[in-house]
Amino acid sequence: MAVGTPSRALRPYTCSSCARSLKLRSRKFATAASPDIYDVVCVGGGPTGLSLLTALRSSKATSHLRLALVESQDLDRARKWDLPPDQYSNRASSLTPSSQFFLSKIGAWPHVDTSRVQPYHHMRVWDGLSSTARIAFDSPAPEPAIAHMTENQNLTRALLARLESLEPITIFDKTSVANINLGSQPSSPASEDTSLDLSSYPHVTLSSDHTVATRLLVGADGINGPVRTFAGIRTRGWDYDRHGVVATLRLPSDFSHDPGNSRGVTAYQRFLPTGPIALLALPGSYASLVWTATSTQAAKLKSLSTEDFLAMVNAAFRLSVVDLDYMFALSSGQFDELQWRESVSSSTSKEASGDIPQAVEGVQNNSIASFPLRLRHASSYTTHRTALVGDAAHTIHPLAGQGLNMGLGDSRSLASAIEYAVIHGADIGNEMNCLDKYNSEMWMGNNRMLGAVDKLHWLYSVKNGPVIPLRGLGLRAVDALGEWGVKRWVMRQAGAL
Amino acid sequence: MTLRPTALRNLSLLLRHYPRRSYGSSTSVNPSEISHFDKLASSWWDPHGSSRLLHQMNPLRHDFISSCLDSQPDPPSTAKRRYLDVGCGGGIFAESAARLPSTESVVALDPSSEVITVAQEHARKDPLLLQPGRLEYRNYSVEDLSHPQSPKDKFDVLTLFEVIEHINKPGPFLHSCLPFVKPGGWLVLSTIARTWTSWFTTKFIAEEVVRLVPRGTHDWEKYVNEEELRRFFRGLEGWGSDGGVRCQGVVFVPGLGWRVVDGGEKLGNYFFGVRKDGGRS
Repeated sequence: MAVGTPSRALRPYTCSSCARSLKLRSRKFATAASPDIYDVVCVGGGPTGLSLLTALRSSKATSHLRLALVESQDLDRARKWDLPPDQYSNRASSLTPSSQFFLSKIGAWPHVDTSRVQPYHHMRVWDGLSSTARIAFDSPAPEPAIAHMTENQNLTRALLARLESLEPITIFDKTSVANINLGSQPSSPASEDTSLDLSSYPHVTLSSDHTVATRLLVGADGINGPVRTFAGIRTRGWDYDRHGVVATLRLPSDFSHDPGNSRGVTAYQRFLPTGPIALLALPGSYASLVWTATSTQAAKLKSLSTEDFLAMVNAAFRLSVVDLDYMFALSSGQFDELQWRESVSSSTSKEASGDIPQAVEGVQNNSIASFPLRLRHASSYTTHRTALVGDAAHTIHPLAGQGLNMGLGDSRSLASAIEYAVIHGADIGNEMNCLDKYNSEMWMGNNRMLGAVDKLHWLYSVKNGPVIPLRGLGLRAVDALGEWGVKRWVMRQAGAL
Repeated sequence: MTLRPTALRNLSLLLRHYPRRSYGSSTSVNPSEISHFDKLASSWWDPHGSSRLLHQMNPLRHDFISSCLDSQPDPPSTAKRRYLDVGCGGGIFAESAARLPSTESVVALDPSSEVITVAQEHARKDPLLLQPGRLEYRNYSVEDLSHPQSPKDKFDVLTLFEVIEHINKPGPFLHSCLPFVKPGGWLVLSTIARTWTSWFTTKFIAEEVVRLVPRGTHDWEKYVNEEELRRFFRGLEGWGSDGGVRCQGVVFVPGLGWRVVDGGEKLGNYFFGVRKDGGRS
């Protein structure tokens, strides 16, 4: 190797440490001169990143691209994920019909274990402060379900299985990104040299010390991932001082989500001043909880005994906000408190009519968890040779359950922009004729969704004043105008149709 | 109707030089045009520069070529295609054609040495384009290129994108392109019709009001209308039989980009494709 020779020749004249540094430098130069070049390197192997790679591999136009995935976790854990039928992961998402359509199109949906997926056809949403304001969304079978509750790990495993049934891609798992830099400038101008100029290509150095260069670098690496930092894309947004408390709950064992059940399967959401509490059906008699609470409340919920925790969940769907606040203030004994209150004013008739969920009876071990809620939106999803997807591009309040659906929407859009670019001979790393298409298709829509969900959050966090009857009126109006297509419009905006 | 007199006047302009076949070097190419594009060279690949509209139009060029190839009565050959891009500029089309999986090779010509340097410099950014034989730039005008000796040296697609409106004598220029096309191959061009709309949009709006492109980029007098091209090729033996003449108008819509508009050739920008008779061997 030409670069190594001088250091050998110099050895008699240089001290050992200088020789070492020379050697080190020559090695760095050698990797920089001939890096592994890919068409797409995706950092982050969650559902969004995997669905992008799968979409590219399963399309005829893009199946020949050189693809690589960088993932810090061991993908074997995702491949071998398996839970018994009476256990469910606490991270589950409502997949909208458009997400499901995309997953079917790229061939991943058949790999999803559907015995662990729960479609639902009804939704009940009501206001915690104005108890008469409620809205019902119904899409009775045989109409398509409003959404399918799916564990994120079930989806991840399916995407991996589908991706690995196609032409292999390069996978660097258990590997993190050490740094990302642009390639070095070519040493001489074109007139004297016709060598490759990779100065515009991101070069990703991995924790294994291997360097890959790529035409297009995709950041599916979450809210503070290295790709957005490299691209210099700023985000705007704020933290909500709220935590999402999640858990896998068990309903009475005689309860069934059986579609034959005249009530069908219903998702419940009540807007409390701290944020919404939602109970989403899982198969059998299981359900997934997402409760938006203050950080103090979240800490409290996690510290309670199982009995008292379940009492708080049931109370949150039944009691007035004042009573609920009182129960949060108790150090323990929420179970007894709720029993006494229920004996005074029973809610069994509401339960029987399906307006509120059945009382939960159990919680799966170690399934209670919480995470801080944030709103972040990248100022752009793309720069030259870089694109952000999923949480790297936007982090949303979970009240509409849209986070994963938005990520899948990004992947669908970016994959189709790349497909268009390949068919028309464009460089897929270029903004014009490729990445701009993705950015302009998704950014505005996502911004509208983030804004709407954020405004809902602030609207429902108001505890008193004229806004409460007004927002109740709003919900009632939307419900009453169901016949006029207004409700369908609202549902479509939420991606539910 | 008001357009007819100008159209006829310029048709005679098109045909005036036709019998005179004086193929010295650069007969067709105006030296002042070359120096104009020399000045443009540095901004050729600037996505926000004056070539932005050409970059945005490029996918439609491929769509039009595909529609030509698909329209043939005999199914297009599955063999990889050879392109000759005449007046390639900084290589917007040449690069994209060379990237297509269905392409064997692209030869791209431009009389301006400055833009050829820019094109070569830019092609270095893509390892695919540096594959031997994939994309070759030559600082020639088409008249200086030696005629292919055998059919296999000819090209499946000869392209003249936004070129003939910069040419002094389009007739002889087109004649010098013809020998390079294979039997069954296509000559595809895009240009601007000489209409009041095109004067208003390309001369007045684009050059004077919005300054989208530098002043002097266009010479409206040299624009060529679609019916003039049709008439030109109708008079040529061995071209455009069996529906082998196609045209598609395109319109730039601010905020949306280029859109295909039927009848757009009567307004301004359009694509024109003509097939050399004979089957693919």
